[in-house]
Amino acid sequence: MKQSMFKKYGLHAILFPVAILWIGPLIWILVTSVKTRVEVFDSNSGLLPQNFIWDNYPAAMSVAPFGTYMMNSFMVTGGILICQIVTISLAAYAFARIKFPFKNVIFSLFLLQIMFPIYAIFLTNFITVRELGLMNSLPAMIVPFVASGYGTFMLRQAFMQVPSELSDAAKLDGCGHFSTLWHVYLPLVRPTLIAFAIISVVTHWNDYMWPLLVTNSESVRTLPIGLGLLAKSDSGADWTRLMAATVIVISPLLLLFVIFQRRFVDSFMHAGLK
Amino acid sequence: MKSTKTNISRRHFLQTSAGAITAAGMLGTTPLFASGTDVVKLQFMYPVGVSGDINRIVTGMINNFNSSHEKIQVEPIYAGSYDNTEQKVMTSLGVGEPPATWLPINSALQTFLGMDALADVTSLAKADDIYQDFLPGFLSICESEEKLYGLPFQCSTPVLYYNKDLFAKAGINKAPDNWTELLETAKALTIRNGSDVSQWGVTFGGGWHDWIFESFVRQNALVPWQKDKVMFDAPEAIDALEFWVKMVKEGVMPSASTWQGSANDFMAGRTAMLYHSTGSLTNLRKSSPFEVGVAFMPKNKTYGATIGGGPILMAKNQPDAHLNASWTFARWMTNTQNQTHWCKETGYIAARKSSWEGEDLKTFVNEVPAAKVALDQAAYAGAFLQVPGYHKVREYLKSALDRTLAGEIDPTSALKDATKQSNREIERLMRRRS
Repeated sequence: MKQSMFKKYGLHAILFPVAILWIGPLIWILVTSVKTRVEVFDSNSGLLPQNFIWDNYPAAMSVAPFGTYMMNSFMVTGGILICQIVTISLAAYAFARIKFPFKNVIFSLFLLQIMFPIYAIFLTNFITVRELGLMNSLPAMIVPFVASGYGTFMLRQAFMQVPSELSDAAKLDGCGHFSTLWHVYLPLVRPTLIAFAIISVVTHWNDYMWPLLVTNSESVRTLPIGLGLLAKSDSGADWTRLMAATVIVISPLLLLFVIFQRRFVDSFMHAGLK
Repeated sequence: MKSTKTNISRRHFLQTSAGAITAAGMLGTTPLFASGTDVVKLQFMYPVGVSGDINRIVTGMINNFNSSHEKIQVEPIYAGSYDNTEQKVMTSLGVGEPPATWLPINSALQTFLGMDALADVTSLAKADDIYQDFLPGFLSICESEEKLYGLPFQCSTPVLYYNKDLFAKAGINKAPDNWTELLETAKALTIRNGSDVSQWGVTFGGGWHDWIFESFVRQNALVPWQKDKVMFDAPEAIDALEFWVKMVKEGVMPSASTWQGSANDFMAGRTAMLYHSTGSLTNLRKSSPFEVGVAFMPKNKTYGATIGGGPILMAKNQPDAHLNASWTFARWMTNTQNQTHWCKETGYIAARKSSWEGEDLKTFVNEVPAAKVALDQAAYAGAFLQVPGYHKVREYLKSALDRTLAGEIDPTSALKDATKQSNREIERLMRRRS
């Protein structure tokens, strides 16, 4: 009894300060977003706002069409994720389970792609997108990222862990490559898929430079560009409005995480138990 | 039988629709042929140098332009920071489709000239009032070898901001006017608790401290660059850096800061004086819980300032009709009325004399006397580091300044190194160009 009490509360005692570390900045963002500009840096006015000022939200929203930007962000991030899941599971399956000539050479090329910083291939990607006639459109932000060397690598490693007896059994039951992939491999590597999805979504949700480069019109731009309007300047950031806009930008991701939290955590637990 | 019928009807459909498309096409083009000209479409890529409302102000101005010019349509394209804008323009230049007009930082002039990207607008300007009405220092930021390549649009310089409350508390009633006074004032305003400094005398906005440093060199009556070399190792420059080192050694100035952080420190009262851009005036005034004073940067041999911000440049690689339209647009954005509007809304310094003579800015100066300080100091201002490869040169210089202030190296050898590295880089680029 005593031990379980300690287990119950002792763990909380350790985890609570850690949680504060994570939640602290979020609370700070929220608090700053309802302050006046003068309060932000005035050490006499204390940590909490004297009056809650909601004006920063409409003021931030008026800087750019954030509604459109958010729709675009959803479509771009979602589009990239769906394409990536398809391409990387097919490629990873081939690398993990099929024998074909020059397999290792091709796989090394995939790995090489991970090493290239994205900035190094901006110009070539730019030319490709332009040749495809996609400039200044949503697909321009999706197409360069439909394949992922990193995702292929991650998933290939996960597929290799799956015992070959399972796929052999599937073969006996009359499964071809596609149904084996669908019925056997993908369900077993769900934790890896989810881990990859989180990385991919966060990366592309926050991407700034590439969307800025290939889009011109407000109708196809994404949220980070809207944030850039408030932050990237030589006069110093407009903190109150920037924080209000930040709340708007991060809330969809936070909301998604809260909704799917159990599933995320579950899948990581499974990964640990295996 | 059935299939033939479908074929016929499909052919019939194709014919009809082809006819319809031709008709629509003719309808669409007829009015244009009738008027004899086409609508010229231009792109304008611009950075946001002052946070928040610039985007709205620029698009508002461009909407006005478009509705008052039937034959020209300008598409405003926000392109991030100055660096982002340059990257976006260069990428477009790389694939041979530059925007018609864009707004870079003025240091990039030689870089774009090196790419043979800029239209020479000298004759257009001579036929106009450009050379008479623009402030000469500002016009000089778009000039190379007596030729004009653009019109100055958003100009800024560093100025000295000071916290009037802290000055009053220390019993000081005026801003320092020369380097000696700067050091003394900073000493009087520095407050320390033991070894910790709770209030610095002065802070130079980091990240752009090379820009501020050039102002100090100019205050020693030297412009430390020409279009094909830099002279950071000249005695005037070494003397300026020695003065900086002295300020750090006296403990009145932090040896490093950031652009954003230094402005925050000033607003929070952690530094009594701040060297920052005129572009920050509105933000500092509105966000500080005390009265903000603005003064000339203190002089040494002379007053001196470096111009930041940039001109509207026009692409060389475009048809004459487009170039003329680009000129019309750049000319309109920098006309008297628009420069007045721009100056009042943003804090950038209007580039036209006629704007400052107008009633609007006279009233504005009465309300915000600080704006006048920026204008008066502009008489001593010139372009900032217009050399090829200025990005790298800036990094060499900044690293020399940082290492010196951190006490790793003495001013003379640091600046000699930076000069050698910079000139090697410039020569490399010049060789590649020819």
